[in-house]
Amino acid sequence: MPKLTIDNLEVTVPEGTNVLEAARILDIVIPHFCYHEALGAVGSCRLCAMMFLEGPVKGVQMSCMIKAQDGMVVSSTDPTAVELREHVIEWAMTNHPHDCPVCDEGGECQLQEMTVAGGHGNRRYRGKKATFTNQDLGPFVQQEMNRCITCYRCVRTYRDYCGGTDYGVLGSRNRIFYGRFQEGKLESPFSGNIIDACPTGVLTSKPFRYKTRLWDLQEAPSICPHCSLGCAIVPGGRYREVQRVRAGINRETNGFFICDRGRFGYDHVNHPERPREPRIDGQQATLEAALAAARERLAALVEAHGPDSVAFLGSSRASLEANALLRDWASAYGSTQLVYEAHQGRDYAARTLAAQVGGHARSLGDLRQSDLILLFGADPLAEGPMLALAIRQAVRDGAKVVTIDPRPVVLPCAARHLPLMPGRLPVLLAALGQGDLSAFDAEERALFAPLLDQIKAARRPVLVGGADLLGGKGVAALCSAASALSTTERAVGVMALLGGPNSYGGALLAGDGPGFDTLLDAIQERTVRALVCLESDPFCEAMDPARAQAALGHLEMLVCIDATPSLAAQRADIFLPVRANVEMAGSYINNEGRLQEFLPVIAPGLPIKETGAGNHPPREFFQTTPGSAPVADWWLLAKLLERAADLAALRRTMAKYDERFSMLSVLAAETSGLRLPVKVVLPPVADRELPHADGSDNQVLLATTGPLGSHWLAHLSSPLAATEPRPYVCLHPESAAALGLAPGDRARLTTRFGHCHVEVRLSAQMVNGLVLAPQLWDTALEGLAPGSMHDCRLEKETKA
Amino acid sequence: MNLWRDIKGTLQPFWITLGYLFKKPVTIQYPEEKRTPPPRYRARIVLTRNPDGSERCVACQLCSAACPVNCISMQAAEDADGRRYAAWFRINFSRCIFCGLCTEACPTMAIQTTPDYEICNRDVLKLVHEKDDLLVDGCGKDTEYNFYEHSGIGVVNGRGGNEDEYGPVDPKSLMP
Repeated sequence: MPKLTIDNLEVTVPEGTNVLEAARILDIVIPHFCYHEALGAVGSCRLCAMMFLEGPVKGVQMSCMIKAQDGMVVSSTDPTAVELREHVIEWAMTNHPHDCPVCDEGGECQLQEMTVAGGHGNRRYRGKKATFTNQDLGPFVQQEMNRCITCYRCVRTYRDYCGGTDYGVLGSRNRIFYGRFQEGKLESPFSGNIIDACPTGVLTSKPFRYKTRLWDLQEAPSICPHCSLGCAIVPGGRYREVQRVRAGINRETNGFFICDRGRFGYDHVNHPERPREPRIDGQQATLEAALAAARERLAALVEAHGPDSVAFLGSSRASLEANALLRDWASAYGSTQLVYEAHQGRDYAARTLAAQVGGHARSLGDLRQSDLILLFGADPLAEGPMLALAIRQAVRDGAKVVTIDPRPVVLPCAARHLPLMPGRLPVLLAALGQGDLSAFDAEERALFAPLLDQIKAARRPVLVGGADLLGGKGVAALCSAASALSTTERAVGVMALLGGPNSYGGALLAGDGPGFDTLLDAIQERTVRALVCLESDPFCEAMDPARAQAALGHLEMLVCIDATPSLAAQRADIFLPVRANVEMAGSYINNEGRLQEFLPVIAPGLPIKETGAGNHPPREFFQTTPGSAPVADWWLLAKLLERAADLAALRRTMAKYDERFSMLSVLAAETSGLRLPVKVVLPPVADRELPHADGSDNQVLLATTGPLGSHWLAHLSSPLAATEPRPYVCLHPESAAALGLAPGDRARLTTRFGHCHVEVRLSAQMVNGLVLAPQLWDTALEGLAPGSMHDCRLEKETKA
Repeated sequence: MNLWRDIKGTLQPFWITLGYLFKKPVTIQYPEEKRTPPPRYRARIVLTRNPDGSERCVACQLCSAACPVNCISMQAAEDADGRRYAAWFRINFSRCIFCGLCTEACPTMAIQTTPDYEICNRDVLKLVHEKDDLLVDGCGKDTEYNFYEHSGIGVVNGRGGNEDEYGPVDPKSLMP
């Protein structure tokens, strides 16, 4: 632990800390462009100069490049260092276009701040400026190369950290150009991070272009609602709409970056069709009337048909507080029909994980330190993109990665891929746990046997699973394999990608309650007559949407509490609008059991661009904001239960009566969150066989989670529309050859949900004998719940 | 002594008033008579145009940031040629205190104060001026400045076309 003196203040820092970081610990800000905690130091911007007066290094040095050592005496205010910094800023400004008034970076521009801080006010350079031609980098990133100060941060972020290959640096001296070799869309699913990384306005957000100056933006720390990883985000809003999202900092989860789905998937909040008014039987009503109607009608049903005639469906999208209140509501009626996820595979996976993972849980931060990562049925880029980035960081430090999956899993790093049928994944996990691969034939044994040695040799191995393909059984196998493979020296970690941002929380609340299939049976048998859906859409999210729609048709009453224009919201007898997570405070529990808080960014209301039809805001004055009826989900449920709608009081009650949630009372936003106490909390869940295809048609289709823009919330977000793929299927070249299909062909896919015209893609990486199709909203592939298998027929389309 | 002071204090004001009876009055009969304020008087705020007739305002929102009473609001948008402009621009004159800070903040000389002080109205909504009401023909106090001819992002003169710029470089060139 070196001890050094910076500006007459003594500080002791961990070994390996650079002097710039040491100064930051003392709250001394040294100006810098190229240094970034996640990217490391390269010493290329020459701005962090400090004077080293005593110790092993002497003279003016770049503080980011010098490791703190004992006896160093450093000055940040030494006139020589200050003068050098002034000159560096002046050089950086020689080619600058001086267009701050029209630059979107204004307000968070490091160049602007450093120029002012460095005291450079008058331009002395009278020569001409170098200029560049910009490239169109696709729908997310806007480039203005004239503003560039060649700090290399974008390239280090895009290529080194995120593993993109199509963006780099060209040219020499004052012709340095950052961009693609040829104009086009940035291919990396993490491309938006270069917007955050760029210290000036070269790379700015295209969907956010010219929308708001940053000093007008309302921002608050929040948690990304798009997957189960719980990345920290900072959404920004103005004029009653969410306009952008930037990455928050949480060293335990996302680190400093987020994926493009999280960054550009905010627009579901502003969706023009978002239902914002309470409705009773299709008629707009006041919130009080709707609440009273819901209470009365449900009470009447309970009176007439018993407590179990009312069922409750919680959500992985709703806050933990609301989900807990939903449980209280169910118990107030005495109903045992309480389910927290309509997708049964994900439901059981989450519950099994919460019950069995114990001390094996690993965070993304742990994963970045891991030296062996095995992925079983997990496709990070589709199910939790930041996991792929964490894996990449582990690989950069020498970790080995093996993906065992029926799908062609693409990672932004080197990985070994072993194709395996989804049904065989739990078998393999059990076999690995027992160290006995006799269930596999010789060829497969040769593939999987090295895994055992790798796990034995690894210091910090982590097994990663995906809820979609593993289901409850698979996750149970994952957890038992991890405990079986753990030794006294080191434990094997577990991480599973779950369905949504609060799947884990829902699982804790669900306990050993029924699954959604049992609930559907009960609805079909008319023992359940009413269903309350909290921010979930059983029509679309169920493993078997056709069966769900048929069963749900028998319902006498459907109450829907939602913030999105879902099918359930359209069909609800009583609809109660709630706020999206950026509009309220609450908490989520992510897939490793980390409890995190989010705060409200904006108040709900029809965006001004809508009330003003794109023009001025209307010149009328209202007593209330139009479209401001939605309330926080926990507020609504507290009102329904006639309790005090006070978040702090709710949390205190939850913490008091359930020791698993005791941390709620000390929860704070903008921290790294709190890992729930390690404790087996649930009895094992009895998993139920999921519907499997029998291959009676000519092919078996495995539904998967699609890429970036194909999730429900992402689908509602217009900036991601460009990334939403057209329907496609993926085949092994051999199966394709058997069907006479070539890559790029148009084919006709027939499932029991109907016909669909799809594009044929081939991948030799995937397992032979399956057809992969992503679930895509508003297409015929909508009914394909990820992880479900269906009989299908695939025929080549002949041009008419 | 106090008595003398009181008599003086009573009579002196009358004497001063009497003196003003024979001087020219400073008040005028407004609205029949009107004064011409000095050219830099801070009254009605206008949006001026570039010498070439295009809108000067780039909707940078510095005026609204500087405004101490938050009476300016706007939304920026982008033209086909990359020019940033105000899609809508609103000044609420019922709130404006005519401090002129907006004009000091304006980097493009677009927003300017004028000596026209007659903007009172009994209907508050008529004091909310939109862009059409604010935009004038002409450059106002600065007849030469055009922001985009000085900021090098190639809106008016094309990329690298400003006086102080080299043309765009070819980053793929192998020349030293």
